[in-house]
Amino acid sequence: MIIRSVVWRQGRRAVAQKFWQPLRTFSSAVDSIDSSAQNSLKQLHSLEAQINAAAPTATPVASIDPETATTAQSAVSESLADQYHRFKARESELGDLGTEISPHYQPNTLLNNPPSPADVTLELLLASEAHQGHATSLWNPANARYIHGIRQGIHIISLETTAAHLRRAAKVVQEVSRRGGIVLFVGTRPGQERAVVKAAELSKGYHLFERWIPGSITNGQQILGRCKTKVVNEKDEEVQGFEEQLFDRAALRPDLVVCLNPLENYVLLHECALNNIPTIGVIDTNADPTWVTYPIPANDDSLRCIQVIAGVLGRAGEQGSKQRLAAAEKGVITFPPARNLRLPEEPEAEAEAPKRESEALGRLLDGAEAISSHIKPELFSTSKSDHSLHNADDLGDMLDETNNHETNRRIKQVV
Amino acid sequence: MGRYDFRALRVRQNAKALVDSKRNPALPLWYNIVGDIPPSETLARPVLRAPRPKGNSKPSRMFQPLPIVYPEDRLRKDFFGDHPWELARPRIILEDSGNDAKGYDWSRIEQPGKPLDGESVVQRQLWLMQHEKLPKAQAYDKARREFYRHRHLEAVKRRVAKEEALSTGAYFGKGPLEVGMELEDQAFEHWRNWATQQIETEQANRAQMMSGPQNETQELSEGELDLAVEEVAESIPATNEGKSALGGAMLHP
Repeated sequence: MIIRSVVWRQGRRAVAQKFWQPLRTFSSAVDSIDSSAQNSLKQLHSLEAQINAAAPTATPVASIDPETATTAQSAVSESLADQYHRFKARESELGDLGTEISPHYQPNTLLNNPPSPADVTLELLLASEAHQGHATSLWNPANARYIHGIRQGIHIISLETTAAHLRRAAKVVQEVSRRGGIVLFVGTRPGQERAVVKAAELSKGYHLFERWIPGSITNGQQILGRCKTKVVNEKDEEVQGFEEQLFDRAALRPDLVVCLNPLENYVLLHECALNNIPTIGVIDTNADPTWVTYPIPANDDSLRCIQVIAGVLGRAGEQGSKQRLAAAEKGVITFPPARNLRLPEEPEAEAEAPKRESEALGRLLDGAEAISSHIKPELFSTSKSDHSLHNADDLGDMLDETNNHETNRRIKQVV
Repeated sequence: MGRYDFRALRVRQNAKALVDSKRNPALPLWYNIVGDIPPSETLARPVLRAPRPKGNSKPSRMFQPLPIVYPEDRLRKDFFGDHPWELARPRIILEDSGNDAKGYDWSRIEQPGKPLDGESVVQRQLWLMQHEKLPKAQAYDKARREFYRHRHLEAVKRRVAKEEALSTGAYFGKGPLEVGMELEDQAFEHWRNWATQQIETEQANRAQMMSGPQNETQELSEGELDLAVEEVAESIPATNEGKSALGGAMLHP
């Protein structure tokens, strides 16, 4: 817009200058100067008249409300309308000048509107530099099956593999958050904060962008014991009255850990492995894929790539939590009950309803204190008698039970 | 513990074992999920090149990745060998969508949305070799000439744009050479002031030396002269005492 108006202004000025130029050449004869000046003025006026004629300014412009408008207002509006029509005429004449910027990469879109698992394409991964590994001398040979080849001294990660592993990891995050699990997103490199927080926000999970305090899982009672815990129901609404029971409860553990920079977080991954917690990690060509359960071979040094991966996993978690809440709206509860949690209810209520169990799920939050983990258990209430009928998931498990001997015991344990 | 720690990969089996041995009361909620979506196979090395044993030697480098080679590579090497300063030009390597190169049509060297650079020559040369079946050298010459022409046109456009802007009252400020010359002038002025001061102080010192108090070099009085002569006389070189005293009070007053 600005460029167009500048072009118009300068163009008019240049035109005016052109008409005045003969002045210099005929400077010897005074009358010739006069005549040429008159000529050029005339030309200029005629040009202006042409422009005005071309524009539909000649048509009389009515004021906004002719009955109520005073004369002064109508004059003002007339001049405004005049200007507007002149602007329109100019636009129609010069509108197609200049360049048109085609859609281009905007770094904020990956954070504000991250791609979903369905949007993962090889082009997107290529543009976000997911294929660039490390120098060939730094490779970990365990990553041989993720590597496409060598280009200019660095290993190139196969993008098909990256996409496949990313989709698989997204599916895991989605399922875990559908089952109400605690998903912890960890990215402790500088610049990864916003991506990590956004992913946690989307998936209603937890984030860590500072240091992992060693022992937060293996020595959780000492490190996270003072952190706040709360009980929520299946619609994620807080339920009061569990404070005494939560007081001496063990610190919560995540059900799934997504680590965006495994090289710096070996302690975290080791603790997860010791405590039997599945992990998802971005594995560059110099990282060890056996540190994590679900590796995503990609470039962990590119923030754009990390934003894509965190965004995809966050979107997957969002889908899962939406599924969980939609099921809760229909009265279907998709997560197993918490152990050793009793509803603090009146005795007669407890008498009329069968004994209700509640499930505590935790939520690690970043807060002011030491590791800053708040814990937010979720309440699950279902009657024991028709447990499998209320819970669609357990219905599926019952079906599984007929097919699979392995789940047999699990069902018994749960019931 | 072996070399590898597979506990991260075996979370499902471990969870089952813990429940079986009654260490844990129930299976974790992800147990079925990890069963349905199992982790991929790790530590498997695909054979990437055929073994070519020479004599009795063992096949080697079978599992190492292969270099990726494109036909443009040689053309690129030639062009940038001939035009090394093309590499010094700033270049945007950011990809917009990953499909940026798909909109290019190398039947002409100029592409919308892509600044002309050495890569254009390479791609144009390859296109000429593939579509017009030109030999490599000829295609190189053709692409190169087009490149030079467009570079020349760009320079003309830049010059004309500058002239136009100046004629309509633009002011571009000082150029880098002018800024450099100004800094140099400043440094020179600074040095000149310093040098003038130095010269002045030197001259003042010298003048003070010339016109300073003269009575520091005292004339020997009669008695002192006699004493000195006596001292010298005592240390006549012929005698044993005189040998150590080289000169004396009269020679070194």
